[in-house]
Amino acid sequence: MSDHAPAEPKPEFFDYKHVGGRFLGLVGLAAVAFVAVLVGAVLDPKQFAFSYLFAFFFFLTICMGGLFWTLVHHAVDAEWSVVVRRQMENLASLLVVMAVLFIPLFFVREELWKWMRPENAHDPLLLEKAAYLNLPFFTFRVIFYFAFFILCGGLLRAFSIAQDRDGSPRYTILNRRVTFASALLFAVCLTFAAVDWLMGLDYHWFSTMWGVYIFAGTALSSMCVLVLIITALRSAGYLQNVVTVEHYHIMGKLMMAFTIFWAYIGFSQYMLIWYANIPEETVYFLRRNTGTWWYGSQFMVVGHFFVPFLMLLFQRGKKTPLFLCGMASWILLMHMLDMYIIVMPAYHKAGFDLSAFLFDIPCLIAIGCTLAAVFLKRLGESALYPVRDPRLPQSLALKN
Amino acid sequence: MADASAARTTAELTPAEQAVIRPPLVLNKRTYGWIGNYVSSIVEDKTPIWWWICLLPCVLLTAVLGFCITYLISTGVGVWGNNHPVGWAWDITNFVFWIGIGHAGTLISAILFLTRQKWRTSINRAAEAMTLFAVICAAIYPGLHVGRVWMAWFLAPVPNANGIWQNFRSPLLWDVFAVSTYFTVSVLFWYTGLIPDLATLRDRATTKIKKFFYGTLALGWRGGNRQWRHYEMAYLLLAGLSTPLVLSVHSVVSFDFATSVIPGWHTTIFPPYFVAGAIFGGFAMVLTIMIPACAIYKPLHDLVTVSHVDKMCKVILFTGSIVGYAYIMELFMAWYSANPYERAAFWYRAFGPFWWAYWSMMFCNVIAPQIFWFKYFRTHLVWVWIICQFPNAGMWYERFVIIATTLSRDFLPSAWAQFHPTWVDIWMFIGTFGLFGTLFLLFIRFLPMICMFEVKAVLPEADPHHGEKH
Repeated sequence: MSDHAPAEPKPEFFDYKHVGGRFLGLVGLAAVAFVAVLVGAVLDPKQFAFSYLFAFFFFLTICMGGLFWTLVHHAVDAEWSVVVRRQMENLASLLVVMAVLFIPLFFVREELWKWMRPENAHDPLLLEKAAYLNLPFFTFRVIFYFAFFILCGGLLRAFSIAQDRDGSPRYTILNRRVTFASALLFAVCLTFAAVDWLMGLDYHWFSTMWGVYIFAGTALSSMCVLVLIITALRSAGYLQNVVTVEHYHIMGKLMMAFTIFWAYIGFSQYMLIWYANIPEETVYFLRRNTGTWWYGSQFMVVGHFFVPFLMLLFQRGKKTPLFLCGMASWILLMHMLDMYIIVMPAYHKAGFDLSAFLFDIPCLIAIGCTLAAVFLKRLGESALYPVRDPRLPQSLALKN
Repeated sequence: MADASAARTTAELTPAEQAVIRPPLVLNKRTYGWIGNYVSSIVEDKTPIWWWICLLPCVLLTAVLGFCITYLISTGVGVWGNNHPVGWAWDITNFVFWIGIGHAGTLISAILFLTRQKWRTSINRAAEAMTLFAVICAAIYPGLHVGRVWMAWFLAPVPNANGIWQNFRSPLLWDVFAVSTYFTVSVLFWYTGLIPDLATLRDRATTKIKKFFYGTLALGWRGGNRQWRHYEMAYLLLAGLSTPLVLSVHSVVSFDFATSVIPGWHTTIFPPYFVAGAIFGGFAMVLTIMIPACAIYKPLHDLVTVSHVDKMCKVILFTGSIVGYAYIMELFMAWYSANPYERAAFWYRAFGPFWWAYWSMMFCNVIAPQIFWFKYFRTHLVWVWIICQFPNAGMWYERFVIIATTLSRDFLPSAWAQFHPTWVDIWMFIGTFGLFGTLFLLFIRFLPMICMFEVKAVLPEADPHHGEKH
């Protein structure tokens, strides 16, 4: 490590004058969108249920990803990510909002998860799975997942902010302990949330890879959001001497790595099910290869893997913030498509239904704007990067 | 904090402050000269007695392996215990076991290189060598399993006189490509990394034979600026090529099972689960070998430090936990699928005639490595070595459980059969350890087991700004 560490920069705090009326605008937009969603829920509860689940899970993956990257940072005692860690923590802190936003799903649960409907109560397959698929246990799990996410994310963020005050490495150690205690639970919660809320859309279907597949999208999409947040902060004049092109390079490399990982997991799952050709498994992909879903699925192969893979292959792109932001936005769109193709064919079997967009878009806006507004609040609550982290000098002087 | 702690001695720091200090990668302020001299001396000095003592049993076991192979080829694969329905047994178990062992080498040399993990430098050479030797051991089994070994060249897609082509839709053929590519790239990667050190040995050589031997292998390396630039680019490219291979080889091996419609084999999580298991077993084997090697050459503890071992133990803990996750997912989904055959397959694994293998696997792979949560066990080498034997054994049991247990319970109960290994099965497996040991001992004796120039590059004085005051 070079001795040429730059002078320690001063703590930076988010100034609301940078957002001005935009904060109120976000709140207003969220409120309007929620009204639209509510109207939709009354008019067509089933369509609302699916659209809301799609939007909910899309944003949930991003927030869970914030927690994931915070955990990774502490688990491997990383240096590079110190300067961006606060934003990961802020993302993870949105999980408390996601817990509240889950409530509407509970009201439309029978529209989504067919196993909850009384007419399926005597399905022999369901009877076999009743020990897991029953409402009390389902409810317990929902509470457990969110309790864990909120507690874990909250502790990591609280200790991190506490360290800003006195710079004690004790908080680093505390966070490491929290991480070790939570890493396995994080895997369990993410996996079974994916099983319960997405795989459960067709309770006959199963795949051992499912949790890993959702995790791959989680890690990838949240890294993309991190790139966008950091760039937005930099363009507003923050983190100028803190986050450098080297940090972008690493974030770009992680985007590339998880693009490949997503494709690897997705391919493995698809190929094994296609190859074995067992009807109880192929049902999932048959539906997603039917009608116009086929075009969506095909597009995802190109758009979610080949395009970002080729674009992120070269170093120059990863070191160009504007380019990386473009790729991050593109990957997020693809992740959205991925979530859409997971959720929506469970309802619209023939293909994309344009009228569904009338529900999807307000749901995305409602949840997205709510999260964005809370995120802006979070930004102002603490310094924009962990100013007294023991590894900060190394992170500032990063070269790779 | 950094400034404040820098002003105080280590003893004055609080435990938390001490815990965040990064230990140096090379201890005792070893210099360039010391590293070059010491690592080279392992090769240059007179052959030590212990080496002969270790080599003798290894060579004997290799001879036993050779005898078993000869006996098998001259008699037929019926000398193995394979039967109907257990058509794959110890042969494929051993193949997957050895292929898995190789993964740690490529992970350390390629993935840790790309992720700029400098601690890899003192262990990559030996781990890569281990990769090659493990793949050689692995390749023996499918080569013999084809039955008529003299027709093994049919595995390669070359047009032959009978116009017979391979089944390109078979994962077994993909395996041929995956393993041979892996071996080729691993050899290239290992050899490329060796060139500067071979040149060092050439320059230090005292006899003409040694000079010729190392000089030929060093390919005219002079250490000029252009050569280093080319070298670094080649190494980076090979690292980039090797990285997907770490994932692909064991993924393809897992396809051998997972593409089938056999309950217990056909499960979508197999590819990443196999890869994690391979890295898990591979790291355990690296430590199994490196800890005794460093115990013999004690000064190597300054290069392969306790901190290195600690990190490797963490990798074992992490990958072991992934393997545990996969086991749990398999069990859960077998139950959740409500498919009676899927459920039965796992029931037989846990409570059938091979229950002991299943629970050995569970204990060795999932439970035992959890002790690495405690720093004491990660930093005391005897404990580390002992605990690493659990993954070593557990990963063999895992493959045995997947292969033999599953096959012994066929779809028709009338076709069920037990598997019992014959003496050829047993001695061939023991024999491959002899081959592995022989090759590794030869490696220690003739090639530098530590990558000298890379370790030198992680010394503080390798930094161009070292010693400057600001």
